Amino acid sequence: MMELRKTLTGRIALTVVATLILLFLALPIVVILVTSFSNNAFAAFPPEAWTLNWYRALFADGSKWPAALSLSALVAALSTVFSLIIGVTAATALVRSELPLRSAVFALVLGPLLIPQIVTALGLFLLFEPAAMLGSPIAIALGHTVLASPIAVLILIATLRGIDERLEDAAASMGAGRLTIARKITFPLAAPGMIAAAIFSFITSFDEFYISQFLSSVDTVTLPVQVYNSLTFEIDPSVTAVSAILIAFAVLALGLVALVRWIGTGRQESLLSVENTVGVAAPGGETV
Amino acid sequence: MAATLTAGAPARPRKLLASRRTRVGILYALPVVVYLLVLFVYPIFSTLVLSLKDADGSFTLHWYADALTGVNLSVLFTTLRISAETAVLSLVFGFVLAQAITRLKPVWAGLAMLVVVVPHFVSALVRTYGWIIMLGDKGLVNETLAWAPGAPYQLLYNELGVVIGTTSMMLPYTVLLLYGVMRGVDRRLLAAASSMGAGKVTIFRRVYLPLVAPGLASAGLLSFILSLGYYITPALMGGPNQTMIATLINQQVTKENQWNGAAAQGVILLVLTLAGLLLVKVVSSLGASRKKRNAS
Repeated sequence: MMELRKTLTGRIALTVVATLILLFLALPIVVILVTSFSNNAFAAFPPEAWTLNWYRALFADGSKWPAALSLSALVAALSTVFSLIIGVTAATALVRSELPLRSAVFALVLGPLLIPQIVTALGLFLLFEPAAMLGSPIAIALGHTVLASPIAVLILIATLRGIDERLEDAAASMGAGRLTIARKITFPLAAPGMIAAAIFSFITSFDEFYISQFLSSVDTVTLPVQVYNSLTFEIDPSVTAVSAILIAFAVLALGLVALVRWIGTGRQESLLSVENTVGVAAPGGETV
Repeated sequence: MAATLTAGAPARPRKLLASRRTRVGILYALPVVVYLLVLFVYPIFSTLVLSLKDADGSFTLHWYADALTGVNLSVLFTTLRISAETAVLSLVFGFVLAQAITRLKPVWAGLAMLVVVVPHFVSALVRTYGWIIMLGDKGLVNETLAWAPGAPYQLLYNELGVVIGTTSMMLPYTVLLLYGVMRGVDRRLLAAASSMGAGKVTIFRRVYLPLVAPGLASAGLLSFILSLGYYITPALMGGPNQTMIATLINQQVTKENQWNGAAAQGVILLVLTLAGLLLVKVVSSLGASRKKRNAS
């Protein structure tokens, strides 16, 4: 009885403390969401009155936000394309081939994730400054790809490892050519992973701050750099609205990744069932 | 050529096949290797070169001497101190939270993990701004604690604010790492200890803790390393006494046009990080050998 009571209080204490820690993680985000609709965008919480002014102010004349948003979107799109090209080829090399110096290549891929971003940013600044490329969206995108491509490679390695090679062997044994196998088996199965890699590359670039700050010029400022500037130099209350939109964006992206994963698992399962495998591998079979 | 070499082509000489797979590997590895050599390795190498050069191009250690004296040295100590405080706090919070999550039913555990993962993908700038709003004189925290003596408390623009902020940035990493480690503990070992008459405290201290210790060490080291090069939160939530190396590098480049000095700071940061990573590697290999011994 004594023992039972002891563990019960222990359990309640653990639950309370764990809840507090979860609040510690979640509250800053909740507070931003609430404040973005608040009459008083500075500090006061909870708000006294509600407004949409900060959202309207984003698109008012002279607002810097639309330009920053479109630059970030452009840079992130470019960086996503670069990361996918690098990611698909690198993952193929690392998973599906006999690569000399395999572990050295893998260590190189992990490098940018482990080394302080400020050091990478400084190095890229030293590379692009003499080339007079500061402020160029291409330069910023190339820089972001250094951070985004390793993530894409890791996701695609996991994707390729998860694909049952027997499906490819089965198709080959039934006479499907290399291209047919790639088009009808490997690509459809890898597609969810590729979409996930694209989404994560996009977020990585869209949120990237250190490299952007070093490679920006006065006229080309990405969204995170504009947020930072608004928090340090100028007082711009619409930064709460931008922040709320960024939160919504992150949640949406994560939701998409979860959805794509879920669809992907179903697809492999249905392919692994016998009838479908036969259908796929049969010449001219259009079951996929 | 490609058309004839289908994967299922029967009875190809093994050696030819192997060399073909090697050629494919090299070809496909080329983009990532070239990209990272040009845009990652070379820039870091040129940082190193720059840190060893004087204005006239001759070799010097002047910039390192400069980086390790006076104000710059105290910035280095501040960086190490704030990173250590952050690492300890995120390790303690991470341990408690991961421990609590492993005891939850799957549905609740999933929800709790969502609360851990979602903030991780929200921009650090946004979360920092959330903290600034929360910790202000009239923010949520001070309003909640209004009844307490001495309120409102100064929670911003000092080290307390910085450590609160950076800890919340590092916490998702430690929780995810520790949750993985805790899930990997073989429950049969705990049951075996219990069947031999060990009490809860003994099992925790003599079986569980040694099993998760390498994971704890790696998680702590990782949050320490990640904090070293960080400055978004310290710059926005700290005062002049919380300047960290990364901020200094940024100032030297953007304000003072002092690239050599910035490069030396960058190399020092890099060396500290690599030392930390080496420690992580040693710790995790110790952990692997311990696991093997326990299982036998």
